[in-house]
Amino acid sequence: MQQLPLGVRLADRAVFESFLPARNTEALAHARRAADGEAGLTWFCGPSGAGKTHLLQAICAAAGRARRTAYLPLGELAGLGADVLGGLAELDCVALDDLQAIVGRSEWERALFTLVREFAERGRPLVLADEHPPALIGWSLADLGSRCAAAAVFQLRALDEAEQQQALQLRARLRGLELPEDTSRWLQRRFPRDMRLLYELLDTLDEAALAAQRRLTVPFIREVLARRGRA
Amino acid sequence: MEASLWARCVCALEAELPEQQFNTWVRPLQALEGAGALKLLAPNRFVVEWINERLLPRIGELLRDKSTGDVPIVTVEVGSRSAAPEPPPAAPVSEAPKRPRRGEGLVIGARLNADFSFATFVEGKSNQMAKAASLQVAENPGKAYNPLFLYGGVGLGKTHLMHAIAHHIREHNEEARIAYVHSERFVSDMVRALQHNSMNEFKTAYRSLDALLIDDIQFFAGKERSQEEFFHTFNALLEGQHQVILSCDRYPKEVEGLEERLKSRFGWGLTVAIEPPELETCVAILISKSRQFGMPLPEEVAFFIAKRIRSNVRELEGALRRVIANARFTGRDITLEFTKEALKDLLSLQAKLVTIENIQKTVADYYKVRVADLLSKRRSRSVARPRQVAMALAKELTSQSLPEIGDAFGGRDHTTVLHACKRIKALRDIDVRMSEDYSNLLRTLTA
Repeated sequence: MQQLPLGVRLADRAVFESFLPARNTEALAHARRAADGEAGLTWFCGPSGAGKTHLLQAICAAAGRARRTAYLPLGELAGLGADVLGGLAELDCVALDDLQAIVGRSEWERALFTLVREFAERGRPLVLADEHPPALIGWSLADLGSRCAAAAVFQLRALDEAEQQQALQLRARLRGLELPEDTSRWLQRRFPRDMRLLYELLDTLDEAALAAQRRLTVPFIREVLARRGRA
Repeated sequence: MEASLWARCVCALEAELPEQQFNTWVRPLQALEGAGALKLLAPNRFVVEWINERLLPRIGELLRDKSTGDVPIVTVEVGSRSAAPEPPPAAPVSEAPKRPRRGEGLVIGARLNADFSFATFVEGKSNQMAKAASLQVAENPGKAYNPLFLYGGVGLGKTHLMHAIAHHIREHNEEARIAYVHSERFVSDMVRALQHNSMNEFKTAYRSLDALLIDDIQFFAGKERSQEEFFHTFNALLEGQHQVILSCDRYPKEVEGLEERLKSRFGWGLTVAIEPPELETCVAILISKSRQFGMPLPEEVAFFIAKRIRSNVRELEGALRRVIANARFTGRDITLEFTKEALKDLLSLQAKLVTIENIQKTVADYYKVRVADLLSKRRSRSVARPRQVAMALAKELTSQSLPEIGDAFGGRDHTTVLHACKRIKALRDIDVRMSEDYSNLLRTLTA
């Protein structure tokens, strides 16, 4: 009989502790400073899956212990209208992900410009992320482009194969999960490159393992994935 | 006791909500707890709506679970605890006059940046006129040039000069009422005053200033009601011999959507341009700013940065921040080598994005073959080796997957790309020539 897993999410959240520094140590150090309120306008760029969203949420989580913060995935919120940025200047730290989603839309760029200006006036951290650095964004509001050019820009590097293994193992460890090495290598071969996908997979497998009371062996994973594929 | 009730509620929500939802909608909330009531303050109406629609019932349940006494009634509204409760237009203020004088003590204008003084303004050919005019106005507010109109491209120091003028006037007359206001702020203050029926206070506050500095007036374009109000404010100040200083990203006559009568009045005083700084000024700016950050740059480093960054002061500042962040992190001195390393990403990203096409072209040039050869089916060594090098570089320098790289090389299989990467890696270890070629190409592509 299948045991139903508890509806409790385990501690593998996007926090600093679960971020594998790899070749992104400087970006991580700067992100920590931002969470402490010691950085100004900051911009993380890099390919999808390199850890931008993770860092942004980690900053909010760390800063949120003492201060008022918000993380906004603009790719998802762009449909709501630029007023989503309203009132954020009152917060202590704001992280905006996926800037590209609003670039070229004048209402949004105006609202972002106001936010950038107000955060600068108050000397608080505003953290932005996009695949590209600010200089390569096709802003329609030159004033905004100029302000963003003054950001401290960090390029995040995607994890290489060995680092991906380490990151997966770190995640598994944080969830108290034993992930045998051959299993993690098998996963990586099958689902390469995108860490987000691998982490999601780890979630699924963790729940399945818990429900079935099984270890994460390759045959078990095949079975779970086959089941999921059919579902 | 109540405070911990909401805090416990938040902990529970953090555990049960998807992380992103929690970070987006719950973290920005602020709780005001009173007798039998819990008021949640949200930054804007979207957050209010989301909480009301998606979370309010659950919050109610949690409060019932966790409360030991009466369960408070929860409401959600737009607001902030730190902001003073009305009256409008309350703006963040640090430099409020010590005692209210004319005007009802309603305070307007943004905080002045202490770093933006005349002492820290780096003068060069491109901006000396603007600085001289600003200094004169600061020394004789209302008498020298009125209005003073500063214009020039973004990031060239207009805001810096405006703040410097405000600091200077205040240093010589601490009673002077001065407001530095971004034109967008003027507009939003006015809108709020209209909403709250407090236009009289708004007018009195603005018209009783000794000096009004309005930044980026191009943002007035198309906003007729604001222009109308600003027109009257402007006239009142000028008539009373109070100083008005304006900045804009272009010559006043060129701003579209601005009323003619405003444009012509802007030209009554002195209009002065700020040009992009020349190299030496960029270097001086970098050295000055780095001193302000407490990490002075050696001159050769400042030259290196200035030569490579376009002539926009904010971009220089961005590069400087990056170098300083690295220096703080590593604890190393800022040398030329260190700076090149710290800015490697930034410069290569800005110079050009490393694309597969780019790599193919560079490799083809290097080995004196044609790009078409690299993409062709030919398997002779003279073509196959460069092709493998290009594939290995594409794997290292771009974020494309092996199949994507294969596709970009004439539709090859991803295993071919993988083989190429392994082959080149092995060759670099045993063949000095290959090792050099590869390093040269890497340098060219990322320089």
